[in-house]
Amino acid sequence: MKWLKLAIKNLFRNRRRAFVTVLITAVGVSAILIGGGFANFTYLSLKEMAARASGHLIVAHQDYFDKEEESPMEFGLEEYQTLTKTLKADPDVRYAIARIDFDGLISNGEKSTIFMGAGVDAKYEFKIKGPFLDVESGNVLSKREREDDPKIMLGVDLAKSLNAKVNDSLTLMSTTVDGGLNAMDVTVQGIFSTGMPEVDKRSIIVNINTAQSLLVTDKVSSIALHLRETEATFKKYDQLTAQYPELAWETWFDQAFLYKAVKNLYNRIFGLLGFIIVMMVFFSIYNTVNMSVVERTREIGTLRAIGTYTHEITRNFVLEGVVIGVVGATIGITFAALASLGLSLAEFQMPPPPGQTNGYPLFIAIPVNLYLIAAAISLFICTLAAWLSSSKAAKKPIVGALSHV
Amino acid sequence: MNIIETENLSKQYRQGDLSLNALSNINIKIPEHAFAALLGPSGSGKSTLLNIFGLIDQPTQGKLIFCGQDISHATEKELTTIRRHQLGFIFQGFNLVPVMTVFDNVEYPLTLLGLDKKARDEKVNAMLDRVGISRFKNHLPDQISGGQKQRVAIARALITQPKLVIADEPTANLDTQTATGIIELMYQMHQEFGTSFIIATHDERMSSHCHTSYQLHDGVLQ
Ligand SMILES: Nc1ncnc2c1ncn2[C@@H]1O[C@H](COP(=O)(O)OP(=O)(O)O)[C@@H](O)[C@H]1O
Ligand SMILES: [Mg+2]
Repeated sequence: MKWLKLAIKNLFRNRRRAFVTVLITAVGVSAILIGGGFANFTYLSLKEMAARASGHLIVAHQDYFDKEEESPMEFGLEEYQTLTKTLKADPDVRYAIARIDFDGLISNGEKSTIFMGAGVDAKYEFKIKGPFLDVESGNVLSKREREDDPKIMLGVDLAKSLNAKVNDSLTLMSTTVDGGLNAMDVTVQGIFSTGMPEVDKRSIIVNINTAQSLLVTDKVSSIALHLRETEATFKKYDQLTAQYPELAWETWFDQAFLYKAVKNLYNRIFGLLGFIIVMMVFFSIYNTVNMSVVERTREIGTLRAIGTYTHEITRNFVLEGVVIGVVGATIGITFAALASLGLSLAEFQMPPPPGQTNGYPLFIAIPVNLYLIAAAISLFICTLAAWLSSSKAAKKPIVGALSHV
Repeated sequence: MNIIETENLSKQYRQGDLSLNALSNINIKIPEHAFAALLGPSGSGKSTLLNIFGLIDQPTQGKLIFCGQDISHATEKELTTIRRHQLGFIFQGFNLVPVMTVFDNVEYPLTLLGLDKKARDEKVNAMLDRVGISRFKNHLPDQISGGQKQRVAIARALITQPKLVIADEPTANLDTQTATGIIELMYQMHQEFGTSFIIATHDERMSSHCHTSYQLHDGVLQ
C-alpha cells in the first residue's frame, strides 16, 4: 500500500507524461477490444450462416464425401425416411432434413446453361435459411405441390442469364441414375439471392420429389442435422460417428469455407493490428519509465546508498508501470464496452465481407474472454516494460548515480 | 573494536591511458564511537575514501574491514544489507526524496527494516522532535530551508541507529550560522546515540568538535 502510494506520487511528478502514457494504453486497449469485438461478431454470424447452410452435421453414404460418383446418386442414401425419423428423435436434434444435390442443364427454350441443383424439404429448409436466403421476387417453394406442376427457385444471376421471371416455364435436363437422359418442365416460383455471386449464378432449388423424379431415384444425397446448440456439434459428431460407423459424417466446419477464409483473414489483420498496438503501448511505457529512471538517477543512487535492494528499486518502478496499466486498461475497457454498445445500437451498415454482395448491420460483440485477456496483456506489457527499463538502472554503480546531475 | 580498518587501500581511476591515483596506500584505523573529521583540499580524495567506507564503492587494491568483517568479497546484496542496518549517509546536497514528506523521508529506512506502522510512527516522531523539525513533518522537502533539509537528512541517517554515519561535506551548501547548528546537532547525536561519524570537510570549525582528524593530500594520508 505504501509503495503503491509512492508509485502514484512519483507518476504525478510529471502529470502530462503520465497522462499521455495512460491515454496511449487506454486507446490501445480499446482499439484491440473494439476490433476484436467486431471480428468476434463476424465469426459468430459466419458460423451461424455456415451451420444453417449445411446443417450442423451432414450424414451421407460412406463414400459420398471422398469419391466421385460415376452415375448420379451412386452414393445416395437408401431408406432415408427411416434414418431421418430415427435421427430426428434425438432430443438434441431440431431438424433432420434430407437433401439431393444434382446438376444438369436448364433451358428457356432458346438458351441452356449448367445448373447446380438442390432438392430440399420445403417444410424445413426455408425456416432454417431464414435471413440468409433473400427472396428477391416470388415465393419460396411450398410444402405441398401438385405433382404435375413442379416449381423451381432460381439464383438471381441465373434468372438474369435465362431472362426468366416468376411464373415463367423452364426445362431441366439431367442424367438419370441408370445413365439415361431425362427432362422436366418446371415453373419459376421465386428468385433468390444468397449474397454470393458464384452461387447465385448456378443455383436452383426444387422440392426433393421433383429432383427424385428427374433423376428417377428414391434415394437422397445426404441428411442435414440441425442441432439445438451449435456448440454441441463436435460432441454429437463423436457420438453419431460411433453409433453409425457405416455412414460418413461431416460437420458444418468441414464445409464452412467462407467462415474459415474470413476468420483466417481477420485473424491475420486483427492479429497484426493487435501486435502493432501492443508494441506501441510497450514502447510508450518503456519510454515513460525510462525517462523517469534517468531523471531520478540521483534519487536511485541515494536510496541504494541508504540500503534499498536493487529489486526494491525495480519494484517501485514496476508499480508505476502497473498503475499506468491498470488505469489505462480500465479506461480502455470502459470506453470499448460503451463504444461497442453505442455502435451496435446505431446499426451502421457495413460493406460486404469478401466474396459477398450484401452488407450487414455493424454489431460489435463484448466477449468477456477477450476483455480479460486484453486486461491481462496490458498489465503484463506495462510490468515488463517498466521492469526492463528500470532493472538495469537499479544496478548501476551507486557513486556514479549519486554524482549524476 | 575498530569501526573501520584499511590495509594498503588504494583506488585508481583510469581514463584511457592515464591512470590517476585517487587514493594511495591508505592504512587507517577508526575506533568505535569516533567523531572524526576527514580534512583535505578539494580533489584530495575525501569523497572517494568516504564512499569506500560507506560500502558504495570498492577499492582497486587493499582491504577494507568494516566492524571487524573483511568485506572485500561481499556481494552487492550483502553490502546493501550492511548499509541498511549499520550505515547512515548525510550528503552535501541533502538528497531527500522530493515526493515524500519530511516524515516519510525519515520513515523510509525503517520501512526497509520491516518495522510495523506503530513502531515507525513512534520512532520517527521522536526523532523529528529531537532534531527540531516536528512542525514541518508534513512538508515536502521543497517547502523547507537548506538547514532544515539537512536536519531531516540527519534524522533519516540516524533513525535506524546505525553504527556509522558517513557525512560528505554536510555543511558545504549552508551558510555559516546554519552550518554551525548542523555540526552541533551531529555532535549531539553522536553523544546521545554513541554513533560513529566520519565527516569529510574543509570547514576548519568542524575540527574543533572532532576528537580525531585525518588529513588527506593527493590521495595520501598525512
Ligand atoms: N569517477 C571518477 N573518475 C575519474 N576521476 C575521478 C572520479 N571521481 C573522482 N575522481 C578524481 O579523484 C580525485 C579525488 O576526488 P574526490 O574523492 O572527489 O576528492 P574530494 O572529495 O576530496 O574533493 C580527484 O582528482 C578527482 O578528479
Ligand atoms: Mg568530495
